[in-house]
Amino acid sequence: MNNAIPTNIIRFIFLYLAQIMIFKQVTFSLGGIAYIHFIIYPLAILLMPVKTPRAVLLIAAFVMGLALDMAYDSVGIHAAALVFTAYIRNIIIAFLEPFDGYSVADVPTVRQLGFGWFMSYISIGLLIHIFVYFSIEAFSFVYFFEIFLNTIFSFIVSCIVIIVSQFIIRTKY
Amino acid sequence: MYNVIQLLAKYGAHILFVVLEIICFSLIINYNKAQKDIFINSSNVLTAKIADQQNQILQFTRLKNQNDSLMIENANLIENLISIDYASDKIPNPDSILNQYSLIPAYIINNTTHLRNNYFTLNKGSREGIRKDMGVVSSHKGIVGIVRNVNDNFASVISLLHSQTRISCAIKNRLGHGTLVWKNMDPLRMNLESIPKHEKIAIGDTVITSGYSTMFPKGILVGKIEMYNAVPGSNSYNIVVRLFNDLSNIQYCYVIQNRFAAEQTQLEKEVENE
Repeated sequence: MNNAIPTNIIRFIFLYLAQIMIFKQVTFSLGGIAYIHFIIYPLAILLMPVKTPRAVLLIAAFVMGLALDMAYDSVGIHAAALVFTAYIRNIIIAFLEPFDGYSVADVPTVRQLGFGWFMSYISIGLLIHIFVYFSIEAFSFVYFFEIFLNTIFSFIVSCIVIIVSQFIIRTKY
Repeated sequence: MYNVIQLLAKYGAHILFVVLEIICFSLIINYNKAQKDIFINSSNVLTAKIADQQNQILQFTRLKNQNDSLMIENANLIENLISIDYASDKIPNPDSILNQYSLIPAYIINNTTHLRNNYFTLNKGSREGIRKDMGVVSSHKGIVGIVRNVNDNFASVISLLHSQTRISCAIKNRLGHGTLVWKNMDPLRMNLESIPKHEKIAIGDTVITSGYSTMFPKGILVGKIEMYNAVPGSNSYNIVVRLFNDLSNIQYCYVIQNRFAAEQTQLEKEVENE
């Protein structure tokens, strides 16, 4: 548990830099309507230990979101979406709880909870985050079609990147 | 105090979530132009909807005021029409800035059409500038009568439908002029007299005011020729004119104020006295 804090801080910084230095620059457009954004930073919140207090999750998400917003010039949008993701993260974890429950030291990674569990966890969390993010960005459900397309395409590419990264970089915590 | 701490311990994370989201959304609305516009716009749409509903409920109570303002507007438009008719005469107007005719809108508050001699009463009088012998029209299409008597707040108008009515009229695009009189008791039909027999006229021709009197400007539409015949032994036609306006159901009208009426009548009287 003691190692979890530095690992998470490093992961936060690493994901933040990766997001703003690499994935921010990469944007594809599909037929002029849908834009494909790589959104991998929710991983920092989703990979925090299972028993992390909710308040810590929320504050971490808020700080991370504001830092991203500074890079993206979109004050508050990432922060709002990420705080929401941090809030529902525990609900997803409770929903996906295995029969024998979680142990205190559990970290939601492929290594500890298996590939199937990790896939469904990341899919649900990321899909909700991306949908909320694009909804807040559009700020009106008048643009529902655009929100829907953006969410679907960005979710597919981001999910692939995250799953692949989990097999390349394996952390213990 | 203990309860507050207990509450915070139990729901602290939820409260924190709400607080953080409120901070985020206030940041979004304050610092992002697109989202700010949408927010302002949708709140405007909401308030506009409420205002619209309120307006629909209260509109009924404002009909009277709306009617009044529409009447004033109409008066201006008819004034313009009259001055356009004059401009097309190609006679240069010495002071064209000043319209010769101005119109005073008024409500008809009493009206008869079934008597031999009919009168109107208007809700405006000498305080509003109405004087004796001014013409009264209901719109650009149709004259109503001539002011007979005024007091401070009311005016009595001799209806067209009066045995003594004599209005100088002409036929549009034709020569000659005659006098409009009311002979029978039909409130929609009048007679045009003393159009000489050598003039060519046809059924359906439009009868307009001739502009020879000080009461009506030239070119106000009166009616259509419904029927005519040449009376043997007479020098003029017997013409039946169907009026454009139904005098029995008009509610408001315009009194024509001729700025040069006094000058004209004075000159004409001097001629008579010689």
